[in-house]
Amino acid sequence: MNLKTAQPMPDDLLLRARSGDAQAFASIVQAHQGSVFSIAYRMLNNRAQAEDLAQDVFLQLYRKLDAIETLDHLGFWLRRVASNLAIDWLRRLPYTTTQPLDEGAHVAAASTDDDPLMSRELTRLLGELAPAPRAVMLLRYQEDRDVAEIAAALDMPVNTVKSHIKRSLTALRSRMIGAKLITAEELP
Amino acid sequence: MTENFEDELRRALRPVPAPTGFTDRVMRALPERRTRAVTPIAAARPARPPNYWQRLRAPAALAASLMLAVLLGQQMADRNRQRDDAAGLAASQELMQALRVTSQKLDLAYQAVKNPPEAAVEENRS
Repeated sequence: MNLKTAQPMPDDLLLRARSGDAQAFASIVQAHQGSVFSIAYRMLNNRAQAEDLAQDVFLQLYRKLDAIETLDHLGFWLRRVASNLAIDWLRRLPYTTTQPLDEGAHVAAASTDDDPLMSRELTRLLGELAPAPRAVMLLRYQEDRDVAEIAAALDMPVNTVKSHIKRSLTALRSRMIGAKLITAEELP
Repeated sequence: MTENFEDELRRALRPVPAPTGFTDRVMRALPERRTRAVTPIAAARPARPPNYWQRLRAPAALAASLMLAVLLGQQMADRNRQRDDAAGLAASQELMQALRVTSQKLDLAYQAVKNPPEAAVEENRS
């Protein structure tokens, strides 16, 4: 199942959801839950907390439906709120060492052409990044968003986003080399 | 290669499916707010604008009060003036009466001086 892009929705779905059509809103949730839950899960590294956060995102969407203009705006809004809620959530927590990812994440994301060990390690290392660069990396490589949109979603300058991406890639590569999961030849 | 590493990262970060039943749980958690109740036509109809007399009711009451106050004031002033007039008239009549009495007395005195009695004349001669 490809969860990367939401299924195209009829133009009137948003209008029907706005007018109180529960089925239309359920369709919106269904179409975007993978994206929102993934952001929450990879940010918080905890399945139960991720579900709570994702649910909170959709409850906020329900209250703010009148402010959503288009389906594109809807996707942007969901990514923005999910990322920022997750960053706030992590900042509220007392400083702790990185929590290991729950069992099941790598299983769900794995596919036949993956190197499961590398995927798991990359996911784990991503979880060690600070909240803001982690959100940047997720929006860039999980949600496949461009730098300008990431900057808008996270309220940060474009150069800061670029800097986070560059530094995070370098850090991840170094850790992967340290773990002997990639070789030095793969460095740029 | 950078691109290979980034591709590896994209593969590792494939979206995770939401837990089973997530949508149902979200829908159950929704408040009732968006379910818009049907508004009765009578309630939905805008309130009828007040008619001419209703709109003029307050200013008319104020004007009537003012007019009543003016009339009452005028009536009291008239009554005071009538009372004063009556008192003035009475005083004038008393004064006229006093003057008339005085005049009569003076006439009598003048007559007495002008036409003294005979006895008094004889006494004066002797």
